[in-house]
Amino acid sequence: MKPAPFEYVRPDSIAEVLDHLASAEGAAKILAGGQSLIPLLSLRLARPEMLVDVNRIPNLSTIRASNGAVRVGALVRHSQLVSQDQHPLLAAAARWIGHAAIRTRGTVGGSLAHADPAAELPVVAVTLDATVHIAGRSAERSSPASQFFIGSLETNLADDEMITAVDFPWPARWGFAELARRHGDFGVVTVAAAEVAGRWRVAVGGVGPTPLRCPAAEHLLDQGARLSEVAAAAAAAVEPSSDVHGSGEYKRAMTEVLTARALAGQGLA
Amino acid sequence: MRVELTVNGGLMTVDVEARRTLVDVLRDDLNLTGTHAGCEHGVCGACTVIIEGEVVRACLMFAVQADGARITTVEGLAGDDGTMHPLQEAFCAHSGLQCGFCTPGMLLSALVLLGRERHPSRERIREELSGNLCRCTGYMAIVDAVEAASRGPGDLPVPHQQST
Amino acid sequence: MGRTVRRKEDARLVTGRGRFVSDLNLAGMKHVAFLRSTYGHARITSISIEEAESAPYVQGVFTGEHPAFAGVALRARSGLETYVETAQPILAQDKVRFAGEAVAAVVADDRYLAEDAAELVVVDYDPLPTTVSAWAAQDAPWPGHMTPVHAEAPDNVLLRRTFQAGDVEAGLVAATVVVEQELFTNRHAANPIECRAGVAWWDGDRLTFWSGTQVPHLLRNCIADLLGLREGSVRVVAPDVGGGFGVKAVVYPEDVALCLIALRLPGIPVKWVEDRVEHLQAATHAREHRYRLRAGFSDGGQLLALDADVTCNVGAYSVYPWTAGIEPLMAGGLLSGPYRLGNYRCSVRGVVSNTTPSGPYRGVARPATVFAMESVLDEAARLLGISSVEIRRRNLIGPDDIPYRMPSGLVDDSGWYGECLERVLEQIAPSEVKAEQERRRTSGENPIGLGIACYNELTGLGRAASAGPRMPFRTGHEACTVRVNPDGCVTVLSGVCSQGQALETTMAQVVSDALGVDYDDVDVRIGDTAESLWGFGAFSSRQGIIGGGAAHEAAIVVRQKVIDLAAELFEANPDDLRVEAGEVRVAGQETPLCRLEEVARVAYLESHRLPESFEPGLEATRFYDPIRGAFAAGAQAAVIEIDRATGEIDILKWACVEDTGTVINPGVVQGQVAGAIAQGIGGSLLEKLEYDDAGNLITGTLMDYLMPSSADVPDISIGHVSHPANNPLGVRGVGEGGTLGPYAVLAGAVGDALGVRIDHLPLTPNDIWSVLK
Ligand SMILES: Cc1cc2nc3c(=O)[nH]c(=O)nc-3n(C[C@H](O)[C@H](O)[C@H](O)COP(=O)(O)OP(=O)(O)OC[C@H]3O[C@@H](n4cnc5c(N)ncnc54)[C@H](O)[C@@H]3O)c2cc1C
Ligand code: FES
Ligand code: FES
Repeated sequence: MKPAPFEYVRPDSIAEVLDHLASAEGAAKILAGGQSLIPLLSLRLARPEMLVDVNRIPNLSTIRASNGAVRVGALVRHSQLVSQDQHPLLAAAARWIGHAAIRTRGTVGGSLAHADPAAELPVVAVTLDATVHIAGRSAERSSPASQFFIGSLETNLADDEMITAVDFPWPARWGFAELARRHGDFGVVTVAAAEVAGRWRVAVGGVGPTPLRCPAAEHLLDQGARLSEVAAAAAAAVEPSSDVHGSGEYKRAMTEVLTARALAGQGLA
Repeated sequence: MRVELTVNGGLMTVDVEARRTLVDVLRDDLNLTGTHAGCEHGVCGACTVIIEGEVVRACLMFAVQADGARITTVEGLAGDDGTMHPLQEAFCAHSGLQCGFCTPGMLLSALVLLGRERHPSRERIREELSGNLCRCTGYMAIVDAVEAASRGPGDLPVPHQQST
Repeated sequence: MGRTVRRKEDARLVTGRGRFVSDLNLAGMKHVAFLRSTYGHARITSISIEEAESAPYVQGVFTGEHPAFAGVALRARSGLETYVETAQPILAQDKVRFAGEAVAAVVADDRYLAEDAAELVVVDYDPLPTTVSAWAAQDAPWPGHMTPVHAEAPDNVLLRRTFQAGDVEAGLVAATVVVEQELFTNRHAANPIECRAGVAWWDGDRLTFWSGTQVPHLLRNCIADLLGLREGSVRVVAPDVGGGFGVKAVVYPEDVALCLIALRLPGIPVKWVEDRVEHLQAATHAREHRYRLRAGFSDGGQLLALDADVTCNVGAYSVYPWTAGIEPLMAGGLLSGPYRLGNYRCSVRGVVSNTTPSGPYRGVARPATVFAMESVLDEAARLLGISSVEIRRRNLIGPDDIPYRMPSGLVDDSGWYGECLERVLEQIAPSEVKAEQERRRTSGENPIGLGIACYNELTGLGRAASAGPRMPFRTGHEACTVRVNPDGCVTVLSGVCSQGQALETTMAQVVSDALGVDYDDVDVRIGDTAESLWGFGAFSSRQGIIGGGAAHEAAIVVRQKVIDLAAELFEANPDDLRVEAGEVRVAGQETPLCRLEEVARVAYLESHRLPESFEPGLEATRFYDPIRGAFAAGAQAAVIEIDRATGEIDILKWACVEDTGTVINPGVVQGQVAGAIAQGIGGSLLEKLEYDDAGNLITGTLMDYLMPSSADVPDISIGHVSHPANNPLGVRGVGEGGTLGPYAVLAGAVGDALGVRIDHLPLTPNDIWSVLK
């Protein structure tokens, strides 16, 4: 379990990162926290020719509020999310990520770019329809989370692009619930719900290739429907497949349970 | 690549291939074999070290990434005169280890926890150490040891992490 | 003895100065990587190694065809007539039989480069039909449809045996109720945090093999035999070992491969450190069994007859040297557990499949048999309307039954099951649990349940008890030398070895007590065949009893020598002399006669003062064999709560009481029990090794193979009763007992909470949720 050889570069600026990515023509990978990438390298399931270590690029580790949202730099560690108080939903969700040592290194940018369907932050990003800020050689762009995730471990990032920051809208009310086999494991099912600008949004992780929005449940919430109806609507929206940690049927049922749990205590009927 | 690491207070320079993980460099190049590798994919915690005051999986970091970093390994816990750290004492006194393979990682994770929460409940200790697997003890004695250390009179410093 | 002293091992282990095999860094050392089969079952049509061989950083590439490997194979032998002997190649020859089997070995400058080179070896496979289940194929109407794993066993059955006593049919006919069950246990594995590791070094004359093994002496014997070396030319060293639990008690192809490679590369130490992915694929698995049971009970709940059919999936090979019989024969021998039973029939079979070989894992088969037996009792209690506690009380072997001849012929020397059970129940308070259960039933809160297990752990097997698998050796004895050095300090050379059980500590305690010297003055050497004496190793909870017995007896002989010599030197009556805390004293007198080192000095350096006929030196060697074994009684119970919505289990309370006989070191005993229970909880709730139909392991990393963490294991109340066993120290083995309970306890507790019968493990939230629906 040792990584295959690669070239290692440690640029000081985003521009240099983009140059490296472009010149490698798809054979380079960004290395951020390494908590997902390094296991893949060690298993030789990923074998890029070049690793572009972005950890020393300045100004990517800040969290600050900006009109109704919280802007989180790509290199903000999960541990920083846990201890900040500007965005409680992010703090609550980040607490569920792995263990202390994983959170020390793992980054927000890495988690979104890795796009694990069971990961917490992508669920939160989709729930809030966060805006992912992306630097590219030709232009900067931003992508709404709803479009950013396109499949399991797949995003709309091009080979030569890099996430620089993410804007997470600030919810007036929110809830988060997860079911994991053990403390610190990826969730079997994860549900986040948030009320942003007067509208409820609900997304579920672990039940499809990307976090899934549940429009029917959101609609019911906005109408002040009963919690049990909302939860049932969320479950009806997903069609999970089976794996070693649970059957599709179980995950669907857990979607209902966790939706109810996420929303408990929000003053809903 | 040339890498400078401050390990347990001593500056060390090594020339390593970029692909070598920190745990391998500590063990093979610096002969600090107290840090163990149990899974090399981030799950078992045997490779845990402290970098800049925080716990890190040394199997999920390349040594080149630690260039310039301040690292504490299990070898750095006891004093220069060999006096054990109070946490090490507590592990010995409470049967907190059997084979000792998980112990270095367990000690370092517990130490950082106690730095953050001086008096964690057993429940909190169990939660926070859940990233360090032990196959021998059934954990109860480890929790006993950490709890005892947290109740001890003295400081529980994290050695070699203070700026000089 | 009887005290928790500071463990001799701790100072080095907590400071990072432990010496594990993977820590070895010898001058000129090279590194081995194995290329492993990616198919469950396939013919090897070609292997090309040229590209790998020509890499500048490579010292050698080996395959099954290599002349050094071609003639060597592991053939686990047994005298049972039904046993089909098969061969396990060191590196695959002609075909591969499980995904993960080693196909080639590459030696290179470092492990990274060895893995690079292994990728350059190209193997062409011609896939064969794969069998992963031990029962699907067996149950098929025409077993001929499958491709046998070994040509020698066309039906894939490597051994079968029927245990029989009394008249089962008559017992069943006489029964008021007959419980019929089909139960399945889950494949899982020991998974110590340190994987396997070995360093082999041939200096042209002697082979030294550092290995994380539980059986250094046996390993030396096997290596010498397989490689055609003199036993005295082979040295095996097991330094600090990071947990074993049975998985390191096997002699593996990789062990032999490393030694064969070393012979080919004289002067070059070769090192292999198994990584976790290899470990999950290629180190032995265990516990994939099916039980079909019919049990008859009288209306008073007395067990009248048990008819059982047990199938064990033994994986692709018969593990060396223990054979594929290790699990099936243990299952048949111990199924009836601590319960009185006259009419018994149990047919066991070991079936090969295209999966990782099964081997010894803490408790060997009994976690599954206890699960089976206890679930039969719970079901009978339900049918008869008596409590699950009461039915056990009525059937447990008691002190008056001792010695009790189990239907399999084993003789139980403990009758303290009832006492253990009652002590456990004091902790758990079943009536309160019952009341709370009722309250919750009406209130609609999450259900709780109580599970109970009683078990007998057969420990410290002597030559008569270890005869089961009819292997060409009997693991009955251990040897120990106790030596008082000229300075009065003591060196103990013991055949035992340790993977965390603190044998340096406990052997020192035994010798310190028996000889009369300070614990701190006793130095124990173990694990190095060049230093320590013969010992079979760490398995079957045997070392405390047998190794401890040998140490005790040797120390007693030395103490007598000390007394005899002191009596001569000081003209005292030997019968009046005592050795205590390193001093020789006359009983009842304040001032000691002399210090031990004065006597030792005479024995070694002042032979002119030695009495005539007194042999110089102060040491003795003793072999000890308990002939039979010692049964250790145990009982566990737990209360759990089930989250009705998710199926998650929360363990509210857990109690265990075992008869540990005389306790050498309470801290160590406590630790063994707690660790064993934690492994049992893991095996019952989380751990499952799963294959797809093509024979690929789909739980191949620790992200998918879930071991219990500190957040999954509760605090456990551990108690002891201490009825000394019939051996020099009065001890009973404690290494495995704890593992025997949790499977039955948790299945019983879930059954009790939900009013259902659990027929397979592990108890995942998903499965419990399905039951809840
Ligand atoms: C034992 C263990 C348990 C874990 N448990 C959880 C869990 O419960 N929940 C969870 O969500 N995660 C979990 N993780 C994963 C962890 O959260 C990772 O931190 C995260 O998935 C990836 O972040 P990273 O910074 O480590 O990214 P890296 O591993 O460095 O990179 C991951 C991928 O993202 C790309 N990338 C990284 N940064 C950028 C960027 N700025 N722009 C573009 N691409 C980029 C990389 O090229 C790579 O493809 C666990 C990991 C381990 C080892
Ligand atoms: S070796 Fe790093 S976490 Fe297991
Ligand atoms: S003491 Fe052996 S793994 Fe923890």
